[in-house]
Amino acid sequence: MSEMANTDPEGIDGVRMSWNVWPRTKVEASKCVIPLAASISPIRPHPDIPTLPYAPLRCKTCASVLNPYARVDFAAKIWICPFCYQRNHFPPHYSMISDTNLPGELYAQYTTVQYTLPLSPHNPNPNPNFNDPSMAPPPPVFVFVLDTCMIEEEMGYVKSALRRAIGLLPENALVGFVSFGTQVQVHELGFSDMSKVYVFRGSKDVTKDQILEQLGLGSSGGVSARRSVGAIGAAAYQKGGIPNGFPGSGVTRFLLPASDCEYTLNALLDELQTDQWPVPPGTRASRCTGVALSVAAGLLGACSTGTGARIIALVGGPCTEGPGTIVSKDQSEPVRSHKDLDKDAAPYFKKAVKFYENLANQLVSQGHVLDLFASALDQVGVAEMKVAVEKTGGLVVLAESFGHSVFKDSFKRVFEEGEQSLGLCFNGTLEINCSKDIKIQGIIGPCTSLEKKGPAVADTTIGEGGTTAWKLCGLDKSTCLTVFFDLSSSDRSNTPGTVNPQLYLQFLTSYQNPEGQLMLRVTTISRTWIDSAVSSEELVQGFDQETAAVVMARLTSLKMEIEEGFDATRWLDRSLIRLCSKFGDYRKDDPASFQLNPSFSLFPQFMFNLRRSQFVQVFNNSPDETAYFRMLLNRENIANAAVMIQPSLISYSFNSLPAPALLDVASIAADRILLLDSYFSVVIFHGMQIAQWRNAGYHNQPEHMAFAQLLQAPGDDAQMITRERFPVPRLVVCDQHGSQARFLLAKLNPSATYNNAHEMAAGSDVIFTDDVSLQVFFEHLQRLAVQS
Amino acid sequence: MFGMPPPLPNQSMTSVSPAVGQIGAPVAGASKIDPNQIPRPIPGSSVILHETRQGNQANPPPPATSDYIVRDTGNCSPRYMRCTINQIPCTDDLLTTSGMQLALMVQPLAIPHPSEETVQVVDFGESGPVRCSRCKGYINPFMKFIDQGRRFICNFCGFTDETPREYHCNLGPDGRRRDADERPELCRGTVEFVASREYMVRDPMPAVYFFLIDVSMNAIQIGATAAACGAINQVIADLPEGPRTMVGIATFDSTIHFYNLKRALQQPLMLVVPDVQDVYTPLQTDVVVQLSECRQHLELLLESIPTMFLENRTAESAFGAATKAAFMAMKGTGGRLLVFQSVLPSIGIGALSAREAEGRTHLSAGEKEAHKLLQSADETLKAMAIEFAEYQVCVDVFITTQTYVDIASIAVIPRTTGGQVYYYYPFSAVSDPAKLYNDLRWNVTRPQGFEAVMRVRCSQGIQVLEYDGNFCKRMPTDVDLPGIDCDKTIMVTLKHDDKLKDGSECAFQCALLYTTVNGQRRIRVTTLSLPCTSILSNLFRSADLDTQFACFLKQAASEIPSRPLLLVKDRMTNLCINILLSYRKFCATVTSSGQLILPEALKLLPLYTLALIKSKGLRTDGRIDERSFWINYLSSISTPLAIPFVHPRMVAIHDLNSKEGDQSLIPPVISLSTEHVNDGGIYLLENGEDCLIYIGNSVDSDILRQLFCISSVDEIPAQFVLQQYDNPLSKKLNDLVNEIRRQRCSYLRLKLCKKGDPSGMLFFSYMIEDKSSSGLSYVEFLVHVHRQIQLKMSS
Repeated sequence: MSEMANTDPEGIDGVRMSWNVWPRTKVEASKCVIPLAASISPIRPHPDIPTLPYAPLRCKTCASVLNPYARVDFAAKIWICPFCYQRNHFPPHYSMISDTNLPGELYAQYTTVQYTLPLSPHNPNPNPNFNDPSMAPPPPVFVFVLDTCMIEEEMGYVKSALRRAIGLLPENALVGFVSFGTQVQVHELGFSDMSKVYVFRGSKDVTKDQILEQLGLGSSGGVSARRSVGAIGAAAYQKGGIPNGFPGSGVTRFLLPASDCEYTLNALLDELQTDQWPVPPGTRASRCTGVALSVAAGLLGACSTGTGARIIALVGGPCTEGPGTIVSKDQSEPVRSHKDLDKDAAPYFKKAVKFYENLANQLVSQGHVLDLFASALDQVGVAEMKVAVEKTGGLVVLAESFGHSVFKDSFKRVFEEGEQSLGLCFNGTLEINCSKDIKIQGIIGPCTSLEKKGPAVADTTIGEGGTTAWKLCGLDKSTCLTVFFDLSSSDRSNTPGTVNPQLYLQFLTSYQNPEGQLMLRVTTISRTWIDSAVSSEELVQGFDQETAAVVMARLTSLKMEIEEGFDATRWLDRSLIRLCSKFGDYRKDDPASFQLNPSFSLFPQFMFNLRRSQFVQVFNNSPDETAYFRMLLNRENIANAAVMIQPSLISYSFNSLPAPALLDVASIAADRILLLDSYFSVVIFHGMQIAQWRNAGYHNQPEHMAFAQLLQAPGDDAQMITRERFPVPRLVVCDQHGSQARFLLAKLNPSATYNNAHEMAAGSDVIFTDDVSLQVFFEHLQRLAVQS
Repeated sequence: MFGMPPPLPNQSMTSVSPAVGQIGAPVAGASKIDPNQIPRPIPGSSVILHETRQGNQANPPPPATSDYIVRDTGNCSPRYMRCTINQIPCTDDLLTTSGMQLALMVQPLAIPHPSEETVQVVDFGESGPVRCSRCKGYINPFMKFIDQGRRFICNFCGFTDETPREYHCNLGPDGRRRDADERPELCRGTVEFVASREYMVRDPMPAVYFFLIDVSMNAIQIGATAAACGAINQVIADLPEGPRTMVGIATFDSTIHFYNLKRALQQPLMLVVPDVQDVYTPLQTDVVVQLSECRQHLELLLESIPTMFLENRTAESAFGAATKAAFMAMKGTGGRLLVFQSVLPSIGIGALSAREAEGRTHLSAGEKEAHKLLQSADETLKAMAIEFAEYQVCVDVFITTQTYVDIASIAVIPRTTGGQVYYYYPFSAVSDPAKLYNDLRWNVTRPQGFEAVMRVRCSQGIQVLEYDGNFCKRMPTDVDLPGIDCDKTIMVTLKHDDKLKDGSECAFQCALLYTTVNGQRRIRVTTLSLPCTSILSNLFRSADLDTQFACFLKQAASEIPSRPLLLVKDRMTNLCINILLSYRKFCATVTSSGQLILPEALKLLPLYTLALIKSKGLRTDGRIDERSFWINYLSSISTPLAIPFVHPRMVAIHDLNSKEGDQSLIPPVISLSTEHVNDGGIYLLENGEDCLIYIGNSVDSDILRQLFCISSVDEIPAQFVLQQYDNPLSKKLNDLVNEIRRQRCSYLRLKLCKKGDPSGMLFFSYMIEDKSSSGLSYVEFLVHVHRQIQLKMSS
């Protein structure tokens, strides 16, 4: 682990690939077992990325952007596109170009550059006056959708979180507020005479048009808004001369600049009660999450296109009313489990998913984001809502309570600016250009296919596919996507020598940054083709085991979701065996002779841990948790995703510096503290002796300063991890043999179980499991890999 | 022998000038009638003392319009129930021969005269009131105790019941129970029983008042919203005090706005229900709250509504949806829903179309179906009304408008739920708010009951044919009244199902089970026992003109929407003619055939019939809404108000000062004829709803100044507010108007009229005795009636 942590494997480009050297043919590629995939972080910041204040030059045939790999004829003022070999003339303003006077995008080290773009490039009727200073970028919109079916205590927590969030919003950000329980209440913040809400029934599915019509924002737009009562508020507000992006639109009745409505919102939160509709004993609260989200989406539908907007849903329980319902109100009926889903015994599931799919499509077409903050002891329907969050690139946080730091601290980070800012961006579009013969199968990650067909679209689809362009309604600094490639089946070895030994991939990401500015990031990367039939040595060197492990985890998760009866463990085992058979050094049928090249040496352990992880062993979790884990697996960078699969373990003891420890039960010792980072939780585990000393209060005695320091160190390191991460992980502090110790034990290799406990040293620990240990797993693998 | 001593024959009938209407000389005949000799109402000025029974005989009641004080001596006061004939014909044939109607006018919560004894409350404890075990008739003075008081015979079904042990009492030598005079239920025609548990399906409901106000553009602009809010704000103080009083408020245009008035909130919260096709209530609780909890919020809200919606440009009005939503908010308890509506309901559930316009073209095209505009256009509203009634929600609609709102359709809701329609057209922000306030105040403060059920029982031989009024009927025998108040009257038409025994008595009992404003469940039982007769002349002698005519009116009102107007007019005229013909034929044979002979008791029937024919409801020149309102107004009108409504009272007010010393506040009544209206005079004409003050062209300017603070007829304001100036004449006028208001329990819409002006035309349209485009003169009508009788006699 340590050798990965100390470098920046993603570099300026933010791209990591399972294979950095590509086989020539489809057949060879399939023999490589691990798919050709790239994990990209489209807007990951890097200090070396230059920002160019002009529009990019595009190839006139394939529209790819000028990049360092283009061949430039300075004399003729011509550049040759590396993707399609089209010769393009430089435009007049590039006339000064020479080999000593290069524009930024042609510098060899600037494989990633960023362009600032004029506003609304996608607007079909671009405003010719976009340079007009009054055309400030549209402010971001935040619509809070708050569940009110919760106990007073939770309500108190969520209210204070909201108050803090509102205080952190940028002054110009527009804020809307929707609360829901049995019914949906849309608060008209711009109505000055009194608090005013529009009430929608929770049991009835309403279309976007109906919502707009009923909010007085109908297709007649400003006319009907002006006709209706609430327009007073809006009119007064506009009279105030505050510029806004929605001239004449009634939506400003509901969306007000944060600076204008902070008082109103706080007053509103003060008076907001938990849902007052009676809940008969033995039943769940009537909660219409589905309609509430529909209404919020409908409200945002009145915003002009291109407005960056997010719906921030704070949900405290399952939807039981109207469309999107995941469970009946009868409490004797539990929320669906994986077993129910497996047996098709979850009567609400498919309908709810369909509903949230439609919602997702609506949001994507509007370019808006759904963020989900779910805090409840039981499930709330994250599994059903997943599609809407993922397709819109929303954030998701699952916690046990709104008072828990997992929610509290994560929620705060969404709104924080500066160093810790998530860098929430809007309205992203990703386009991929690639060399001839490379096909794109699709993307796993928070995006939606734009169905843009082209020669580079593969026949088979993985994730969001069938396109060379994707919509990312919401994206941030850490957003990560996995692109799956395929090779064209045509055989090119007929014409050796004429083929470029390099392959090129170009990722174009346009988006609106938090300030509303339109940006275009262009990353062009080059890799080498290799005829793997001739030499697999280079191929082996180009293998990125960590990326490959993550890609396999993501692919497995996807397959488990969409392929009926998919046996993940079996599939992973077979893949691993095939991989080892192909790339291992061994004599046939002699397991003892088996050896793996260092480029592959860590991979089997990744697979071992993946098989045991929550991504594959779903039955230990609820469908909500599984959905949550997978969403984060898909959107985090490779290093973090690897930690999810194979946690990191650090050992703290008196006589040595903190050091990585084997993820093995053998690492437990009475006089050690262990720090386990499994991404979702960070566990500080005190050995028995340490715990006893601590309980005796030795760390408070001056003569035991060293112990105090030892006790302190893992906590500090845990803090470091927590600060960097979104969502904030759950921090578990536990002692050996304590009940919370299970958070650690579940992740360790069970090298010592009750079957072989007598072999263990004192102070160590055993895990009560029948799972095979890594050693046993390895033995089997060797045996099977060498089988002829 | 029962009741009335036989009057002398020449007193029992009125004959009009012997020269009247000889066949073949109609014109000449007409001219020969002395207009001063024809029958006209002569109001008695002194208070009549009336005992309901004397010498164990029913005493015929004084005229309904007269001033009287009742002593309940066994029969109920005529205020609560009166019959069209004070003797009951023994057979159906006899009744048919007489041409008269047999019906009861029941006004169970009518307000007694201040000098009358109040209705006594009897509590039988858990066992509830004593009733006949077969017909369930309530114990009353006419149940006959026999067998030493151990058993009693029901005066309705004739069944012999065992006297409950605890109710047993020995009989005196007169055959009456010894305790009869101590027990109100055995000596009074009207008593109120405390209802026991078995009369309750749930706890008595609280007093719930929900105000629903139109805030659409039009309502705001004509000032109706402000007037409604002002009126409600003032009325809040008059609502019953205490924890049982709940209020709610909502406004509406194209959406419905509820208000959460809970005290915990810093300010009211407006909750908009935008889906007017499929409404719902936005809160389970807190939309209807205890008055004591929300008084401040309510006042604040009512003050701010008119300004809050000042710029409202929404012209649409979702009356039906708003009413339904408000209903849903009060469904759990029931209560009174007071709706203030200013435009045609145009959107959402129960939206209506401006059918008046098409109606007008139909009318001009001589369309035979013109009366259809007076029918309800919308089945949704009907269904809603029935649902409202089921959940004990009583709806009153205050229509403050300057346009057509389709009262015919809207009125279905108040009529079915025991409410009523108030109509302010054309609404004036200057003159109408005072009336609106007073109407609203009376509406909530008048004696009233909630969640009521009413049934009328009759002695064997007679049964109820039909009930007619503002209620919902789900069972053939009972009427459901979500709301019932002192003004509401129900007409109960009767029919024979057997012969009655001459010399016996026939009893009628109205039982009203209701919840008082204070939350007590009561049964008000009103019993009337009348003698039976087989002599036709007795029927004419004991006919009750006021009740008969009220019956005419209600029948006309219910027929107008369902048949062509000409037919209705003919039928009304024929009703009158047939009665007079029967009298002429069978009771006055001795008199010469050239005379028009009128039974004394019914001598004014022709005049009133003429008034009815010329009234707004039976004319086509009026607006559809006005006619609809007229029809609806009559559906619940009480007997004392029925005649004045079509035959208004006119008095001169320019010379009020000259009647010094006269104790009566009301000057002598003037016949409704132009010849009594002088250019130099000022006349006040009122029908219990409208009050027109006609100012002649050459009135002394000094009088004008004293009364109206104007110097000439030209300065007459279009919108009039009565004010009291510092002079005796003005004081007298104010006293007069106030006295009329008191009598009519109505604030009156005051309007000044002058000649050569639409207002003047309106005034003269009430001159019923004149010949006009709408009908014959009184004299001509008498001639017509006489001729018809002669024709029928000779055929």
